[in-house]
Amino acid sequence: MAAFAATAGGLLRLRAAGSEGQWRRLRGAGLLRGLLQPESATGVAAQRRHVAHFTFQPDPEPREYGQTQKMNLFQAITSALDNSLAKDPTAVIFGEDVAFGGVFRCTVGLRDKYGKDRVFNTPLCEQGIVGFGIGIAVTGATAIAEIQFADYIFPAFDQIVNEAAKYRYRSGDLFNCGSLTIRAPWGCVGHGALYHSQSPEAFFAHCPGIKVVVPRSPFQAKGLLLSCIEDKNPCIFFEPKILYRAAVEQVPVEPYNVPLSQAEVIQEGSDVTLVAWGTQVHVIREVAAMAQEKLGVSCEVIDLRTILPWDVDTVCKV
Amino acid sequence: CGTPVPSSGGLIAGYAHQKPPRVLVASRNFANDATFEIKKCDLHRLEEGPPVTTVLTREDGLRYYRMMQTVRRMELKADQLYKQKIIRGFCHLCDGQEACCVGLEAGINPTDHLITAYRAHGFTFTRGLSVREILAELTGRRGGCAKGKGGSMHMYAKNFYGGNGIVGAQVPLGAGIALACKYNGKDEVCLTLYGDGAANQGQIFEAYNMAALWKLPCIFICENNRYGMGTSVERAAASTDYYKRGDFIPGLRVDGMDILCVREATRFAAAHCRSGKGPILMELQTYRYHGHSMSDPGVSYRTREEIQEVRSKSDPIMLLKDRMVNSNLASVEELKEIDVEVRKEIEDAAQFATADPEPPLEELGYHIYSSDPPFEVRGANQWIKFKSIS
Repeated sequence: MAAFAATAGGLLRLRAAGSEGQWRRLRGAGLLRGLLQPESATGVAAQRRHVAHFTFQPDPEPREYGQTQKMNLFQAITSALDNSLAKDPTAVIFGEDVAFGGVFRCTVGLRDKYGKDRVFNTPLCEQGIVGFGIGIAVTGATAIAEIQFADYIFPAFDQIVNEAAKYRYRSGDLFNCGSLTIRAPWGCVGHGALYHSQSPEAFFAHCPGIKVVVPRSPFQAKGLLLSCIEDKNPCIFFEPKILYRAAVEQVPVEPYNVPLSQAEVIQEGSDVTLVAWGTQVHVIREVAAMAQEKLGVSCEVIDLRTILPWDVDTVCKV
Repeated sequence: CGTPVPSSGGLIAGYAHQKPPRVLVASRNFANDATFEIKKCDLHRLEEGPPVTTVLTREDGLRYYRMMQTVRRMELKADQLYKQKIIRGFCHLCDGQEACCVGLEAGINPTDHLITAYRAHGFTFTRGLSVREILAELTGRRGGCAKGKGGSMHMYAKNFYGGNGIVGAQVPLGAGIALACKYNGKDEVCLTLYGDGAANQGQIFEAYNMAALWKLPCIFICENNRYGMGTSVERAAASTDYYKRGDFIPGLRVDGMDILCVREATRFAAAHCRSGKGPILMELQTYRYHGHSMSDPGVSYRTREEIQEVRSKSDPIMLLKDRMVNSNLASVEELKEIDVEVRKEIEDAAQFATADPEPPLEELGYHIYSSDPPFEVRGANQWIKFKSIS
């Protein structure tokens, strides 16, 4: 037992980044060619290898929330969870391997700090995890469930769509599972192949009753996660796994909220609107800069942040 | 030397052309076969279990030894290639569990069916693919059995349905294959494998119910290697008697490190299914030397002493070797010769797997649908298109 709890270091490499735990950012020459020479792109593409490319662009240090600390994405998540468990005595965190800190280190230290009845492992059963979480939430306690990879959320799809999303509606507001938040690592990472790379937000995007959120950075993640946990509706929070270590920013230590269902205009522009979420926001920022420089096109870059219900007004506003 | 025993059915056809090992010392006479005692299996809802003695012929023994050694060396070579970054992505090795794949194959026919999860390289071999095809698939080359597109977790062969990444998802599939076996009426069975971690998935119990209700010829096999990734069985399961978890399905618990035990239990289970009695559950108690995957050192949740102890007391290859040598079924030199031949085979396969070219990029979009005519698939951006042919 002791051996297992001792080094998170051993297990942290489980399923995380490739063999050395390093994130590779590779040159996006293929992307550039594709942008500027669409006709020849196919011919060129056939010979080139196309790999994930982005440069994480940190936001300026926030001043209005008090003292900040340099954190990467998983540390920002840990901070949000820490704040939640401190503020809300009914809050519990559960999922596969969360007790020792999680396969991406998002829950490191929380079990020691808050006790094993508040941070605990479940067996390997996604449908069970979410169903169980709905049950906890229905009694009024705050349930923070982790699905180990978004790719594994599908056994729980029925519980989310048929149970969690419709609970309040079907009971005429007598019951609800609003204090449920489901977190899952999301998105491509380069070597994840079929089952460690998926971005399933679209499957949930048309299900009234739940909220779906994807942050682009540590600062956004902490604020959005805290908002999800406090929101009185069941929320799914997808965390871009490729950003867990690659994204580093100054993040406030105290709790703060980033509003749900509000898109953020990161850069104003007049010719074209580019909408993105998660990791892709950073790709799009680069595209906007390239478009301005090479084509003289002024792009407006919007981070959607909440996929459902999404901020139609900000996107459509002239 | 006892009653004649049918040569264990269903060893891979591809192996038939291998020349038998040379006998070094011409004047040495080996026994033709020997009888061994094997551990009695724990039973659930069964009046009697597999026999407690079995006869092993020299020919079968040498074949099992060669197969287990091949799987062992192949997995170790995969470990090496992974560390050299020639194999990328995910790689789950089964060294330590050789008695399971070879023993199961020894108990069934090539016309029977098998489906398992992601720790599948050993089964891919015992079900008939060559080491070359397997290693080339691991390195993602065109010579791989899935043309380089499947990788470690998605290898397939005749009557072998993979190779499945999602934990537990293959079990209802196995029940379905068993239904087809029953429907086709050819007396075939389906071996449906899963691990101790997967045993807690809901869909497994759904499959149990369907198989029992419709008396499907499905042998559910729980490969219990004591750890589901980093979680030991005591911390994951309310009941660690996995052979009883089928409840209304009869079960047996088998020593998965003893190939003869596995073989006899499999023969017993297959006979049970073929006689129309419905499904049966086998728990194979086994152990993996490597961690869960190549990203897991495997020592943060278990001690090195534990791993060492299993290696020195229960290693499946060692157990078979000792039995054969002590019963004069083979000599130490002979088995060493087999080791040398196996090493060479693996070396050659690794060379091939390293040198073979990758599949061409045009094939990236193939085989999404079965469709006629071909259609276009978008790549990472709108201007990259792949043709999808199927």
